[in-house]
Amino acid sequence: MKDFARRMVGIDRRLIFLLVAVAVLFPLLRPFGLPIKISPEVNAVYDYIEALPERSVFLISFDFDPSSKPELEPQGIALLRHAFRKNLRIIGMTHWLTGTGLADSVFSKVAAEMGKERGKDYVFLGWSPGGGALIISLGQDLYKAFPSDYQKNPTHGMPVLEGVRNLRDVNYMVSLAAGGAGIEMWYVFGKDKYRFEMAGGSTGVIAPGLYPFLRSGQINGLIGGLQGAAEYETLIGQRGTATAGMDAQSATHFVIIVLVILCNVFYFVLRGEKGRSA
Amino acid sequence: MATETVLGAWVAAGLTLFIYSFLYKDNPLFKLGEHLYVGISVGYSVVLAWHEVFVKQFWTPLSKSVVEAPADPASYVLLIPAVLGLLMLTRFVPQIAWLSRLSFAFVVGFGSGVAIPRTVSSYILKQIEDTVNSLVPTGDGGFSAFMNFALPQSGVNTIILLIGVVSVLFYFFFSVEHTGPGMVTARTGIYFLMIAFGAAFGYTVMSRMSLLIGRFRDLITFSGAEYGYATLVLLFVTVLSLAGWEVGARRKGGEG
Repeated sequence: MKDFARRMVGIDRRLIFLLVAVAVLFPLLRPFGLPIKISPEVNAVYDYIEALPERSVFLISFDFDPSSKPELEPQGIALLRHAFRKNLRIIGMTHWLTGTGLADSVFSKVAAEMGKERGKDYVFLGWSPGGGALIISLGQDLYKAFPSDYQKNPTHGMPVLEGVRNLRDVNYMVSLAAGGAGIEMWYVFGKDKYRFEMAGGSTGVIAPGLYPFLRSGQINGLIGGLQGAAEYETLIGQRGTATAGMDAQSATHFVIIVLVILCNVFYFVLRGEKGRSA
Repeated sequence: MATETVLGAWVAAGLTLFIYSFLYKDNPLFKLGEHLYVGISVGYSVVLAWHEVFVKQFWTPLSKSVVEAPADPASYVLLIPAVLGLLMLTRFVPQIAWLSRLSFAFVVGFGSGVAIPRTVSSYILKQIEDTVNSLVPTGDGGFSAFMNFALPQSGVNTIILLIGVVSVLFYFFFSVEHTGPGMVTARTGIYFLMIAFGAAFGYTVMSRMSLLIGRFRDLITFSGAEYGYATLVLLFVTVLSLAGWEVGARRKGGEG
């Protein structure tokens, strides 16, 4: 047993990479269709948007860049589909300069799919420097913070922004964040000061750090990682890339859990061996 | 399908495979992908910053206001932040580097003034407020609501939260020796920390696997006939190149 454990602990790590690759590839080619359970934090975002009256103002901030695309793009697409279906007025923007093109393409794609018109049903403001200072500026006067949208059209007089002066006129806000310049920043400089309801969508890496905000009610919902995106796709009844990836996610998690358990067993079998040989 | 879409698919598939070739070992294909990534990221950021900041936020509004009202001093107000920005560049000239302190003083002063009250309110006061919830069951549900683990504000969760906060804070309180009841409290704090680290690690694994799934999904898409079997062709080229490079390296090693 000890010989086997010793061999296993010293196994070529490329075999583990191969195992993980197979665990990802196989379910993507042959999906199992595992059920997706909806968590209360994702349901809270869905319920809030569902309860908004038509033509309410929904602000969505794509605070990520292409490196987080697999997790956050499906969330953005699902949220936009839901908001367009509810006939909300959507204001889009980003705090991440390198995410501007990606965010604009997501808006254009989903708007075309839902038959919505730029300037009338939605506007993508693009990026502007400042981070927290930009949010404060938006809280004072949206048109000074963004005199023109991403397409260089003047924001003043746009039908989609009718009656909107600043963040106080926003009915709901969701930040899709891959880091600090996202949900927390929107809460600290936005919601806490200008009193609008907000939720967050995040990568899996930063999701645990956002649960204290969720618990305390500082955000009313949280869509975490690919799992959260898949839950939202299930809620709106439009299965997308996140749902398609969940089988692969479950398979890789299973492989990793087995590997962690096996590794611990092998180390347990070999416990003290290093000390004796020394 | 548009030529640029197919070309983009070939570039994306090729660079993904080149980067993943590092899992075999460090090699020239990986280096090529890595250098292209760094260069293109920087180039893309510079171009975007030029258009979105310099042109859109500074040059266009400044030139417009100067043309419309050249005699109005307010037309030139954008020159103030521009000068402050330029002063930051004096860091590169040691003789006048002190001028950059003016800009930094502005940034630090403004940043602190804006951030401190908001941060104290959001990260400290609101979080403390949530830690001191009622321990006794209130409202509908009675004891069952008190014991409901799924309800964030339930009594049992409030007690767990309180124990966690106090024990973790005590663990980081080094002025008192951790012996007797103090040791029990500090140990409890460690267990809470371990659970938090475990949750963070689990989410990190999920996140990284999602990125892998995203790349694999793209690779599968690009392996279709409409993309000219980009993934399959480039996978073959990558494997062949790695094999050639490996054979070359071994021969070189043998000669050496």
